[in-house]
Amino acid sequence: MFVAPIKRIRAGLSVLPALFLCFGTVGAVGTGAAADLPPLSHRLTVIEDPAPAPPLRLEDIDGVEHDLADLKGRLVLVNFWATWCPPCRREMPSMERLYQQFKERGLTVLAVDVGEDMDTVFAFTGQLDPAPTFPLLLDTDSRAAQDWSVKGLPTSFVIDPEGRVIIRAVGGTEFDDAAAVEQLMPYLPKP
Amino acid sequence: MRFIPQTGPNGTHSCRLSVRYVAVAAAVVAVLGAPPIGAEPVRVDPETGAATYETRAHGVSVSLTQLLPDQIRAFYVARGFDLADADVFADACVYMTVLRNDTAPGEIDFRLSDWEVQHKDEVRPLPPLDEWLAQWTARGVPDSARLAFRWAQFPSEQSYAPGEWNQGMLATGLPPGSRFDLIARWTIADQTYEGRLDDVRCTD
Repeated sequence: MFVAPIKRIRAGLSVLPALFLCFGTVGAVGTGAAADLPPLSHRLTVIEDPAPAPPLRLEDIDGVEHDLADLKGRLVLVNFWATWCPPCRREMPSMERLYQQFKERGLTVLAVDVGEDMDTVFAFTGQLDPAPTFPLLLDTDSRAAQDWSVKGLPTSFVIDPEGRVIIRAVGGTEFDDAAAVEQLMPYLPKP
Repeated sequence: MRFIPQTGPNGTHSCRLSVRYVAVAAAVVAVLGAPPIGAEPVRVDPETGAATYETRAHGVSVSLTQLLPDQIRAFYVARGFDLADADVFADACVYMTVLRNDTAPGEIDFRLSDWEVQHKDEVRPLPPLDEWLAQWTARGVPDSARLAFRWAQFPSEQSYAPGEWNQGMLATGLPPGSRFDLIARWTIADQTYEGRLDDVRCTD
């Protein structure tokens, strides 16, 4: 489904210097040392009355359109984020690890960047370890974030195979933590 | 620094009830150990000198870390602000704010319009997000830059289940060099709680 965005490499390189400046600035904000960073959450919030997920149809950084409606039957983690957002950056490797662990069992991750362009997003991904292999969607005018009632970044939702929002996570989360995985396991499609 | 749960609705006050309330209040104060303490930073960034003020109680934590004016300018100029526009925000005593529901007994709800800063015996609201956005529109800040501003701010309202949190920018609107108290408020099941960070310093 997701093709490695080789064609973005050249474009991404052109904005790297500016991006590093921004990361350095924000990364230094309120941190000083890693031990001072606010801890990521290790648990997810189960929604008592699941409701159908709002529509989500956006292009990724390669111009490929993704529609949540096409993913019925899979468990989908929808993550709203931005490159300048420190907890967004910190939680993203855990999403990739979770994706690698469970994609064959029916997990899909859609990471929706809010308000930035493809070059900015692509340049950022090269700094992540592991780099994301799931689709990075562009919500350039933040309309999707508003449709999903996102109030702050990062905010994530888990959509069950029937298309209902069953779990949310507001704030940076360690998605492959054992406690979070235990919450997700019952909803993975049966093999 | 202290957190104060504000009690719910009051009924008719008899003398005996009043005495009971006073006793309960005294007990609460005793439990919370509540005399306000002039805040000392919990840490200071060795590179920037930016101080972090933090308090936690009743399962909720709040922290403020000043974003120095140069950091603010760099962030917003990189996102399409003119330097003159970025300067306006940089001079508003801006803090990276973290509010977190660690172990509160339920979901917390807050609106920044309920929060206040106390500065020189004057209590004032925080400058609302809509006012900042209107100002950027009037000054001709590009749409993409306004969007970055909107999402980089601490949420104007939010609900956190236990474990949930956000981090974002919060401007006090005070002049650089100010010392102030931040009064944060939230509710859990219709009970209002108030948290204070006293004597926060804004380095100029």
